[in-house]
Amino acid sequence: MATQMQAIKRRIKSVESTKKMTKAMQLVATSKLRKTRNQLDELKPYYTMVTSTVAQILASNKGIDNAYLKENKEGKVVYIIISSSLGLCGGYNANVNKLMDSIVTSDDLIYMIGTKGAAHLSHTGVPYNDNYLSLNSTLDFKDITTLVGELTNMYKAKEISKIKILYTEFVNNMTFTPHIQTLLPVDINEFKDIEVTNKYTIFEPSPAEVLDHLIPMYLQSVVYGYLVESVTSENAARRISMENATDNAENIIDDLLLEYNQARQAQITNEINEIVAGASV
Amino acid sequence: MKKFKLKIVTPKGIYQQTEIELLNIRTTSGQIGILAGHLPLASAIDISELNYVKDNERYHFAIAGGFVYVGEDETTIIANAIESPEEIDLRRAEEAKQRAEKRLSLKGDIDILRAEIALKKAITRIHVKNGA
Repeated sequence: MATQMQAIKRRIKSVESTKKMTKAMQLVATSKLRKTRNQLDELKPYYTMVTSTVAQILASNKGIDNAYLKENKEGKVVYIIISSSLGLCGGYNANVNKLMDSIVTSDDLIYMIGTKGAAHLSHTGVPYNDNYLSLNSTLDFKDITTLVGELTNMYKAKEISKIKILYTEFVNNMTFTPHIQTLLPVDINEFKDIEVTNKYTIFEPSPAEVLDHLIPMYLQSVVYGYLVESVTSENAARRISMENATDNAENIIDDLLLEYNQARQAQITNEINEIVAGASV
Repeated sequence: MKKFKLKIVTPKGIYQQTEIELLNIRTTSGQIGILAGHLPLASAIDISELNYVKDNERYHFAIAGGFVYVGEDETTIIANAIESPEEIDLRRAEEAKQRAEKRLSLKGDIDILRAEIALKKAITRIHVKNGA
């Protein structure tokens, strides 16, 4: 009896220490979530400004000729895939991997961000570029500039036909869905709804050249935005799964405590029984 | 002198929002000065020094390329990175300069363009830091 009680006690202790860990991770994820959400807000003015200027150029120069607006017929498709580098974030990586498996073939050029997705690709034997693996933890805008520069040059040289990005949309604190978005060629229709204030702007030196400069900047802000959004989703997913883990630990502790008390009570009853039996002899 | 609004936006949020009298920038097609009441203009900015005059005082910045949009009531500069002399780390800029020069001197390096851009950024930073 006593050994059983000891075992239960030990289990309670072990579950309690697990609970401490999940609780700590939950708190860390919560603060990280707040940080990345701020970053997303900080990017907004930049992003709105760039998109509205692109919209303006497109609106005032119908049928403008630009390499970024035209589809390249030949070449590989480039995928930028954003996954996480840390586990324990619920279905976040599983969802990304599932979507990735359904679209990516070994003929595509893959730029992987996050080691979890990379491990999955290594497992399935699909080659990928791992120069930007840690971008999801550094969130360095300079590296994004390099990445976008590399890709836009390849696109202009007609080495690649399309650039797509797989990211996880942050709907709200509870819902996140992985999506695929085409970055290049730029879809003109996306800019149709943006209100254009002034159609008589001077473009120095020419609208086409300004656009040539502006589209990489637009892509940088978009890629950065998607990256920060994915990391936000990752942290939110981690927070939820850690919250669940903490709740589960609490339930287990409650159950074990009940079991322990029952065992203790049984032992006491047993002892009384023995004493009573001994006295009546 | 008549003033106009200037807003400098970076990926890290709004860097500065102020009212100035004169803005000097170097676009990809040359140096331009902007006064209040300028016609709407959009242009790319080179990696260069940027300065503006506010209350008869001139303020200098190093800009790592970007974009300017002169609107009717507000001028916006979109920059990936912009620094005032106080924010520039001279030692880092000089290290970056040496690194870029070393890379440029090595023949056969494929990333000449990148090294050149890095060198240009470093030189601009050093110039702005020492000029102020």
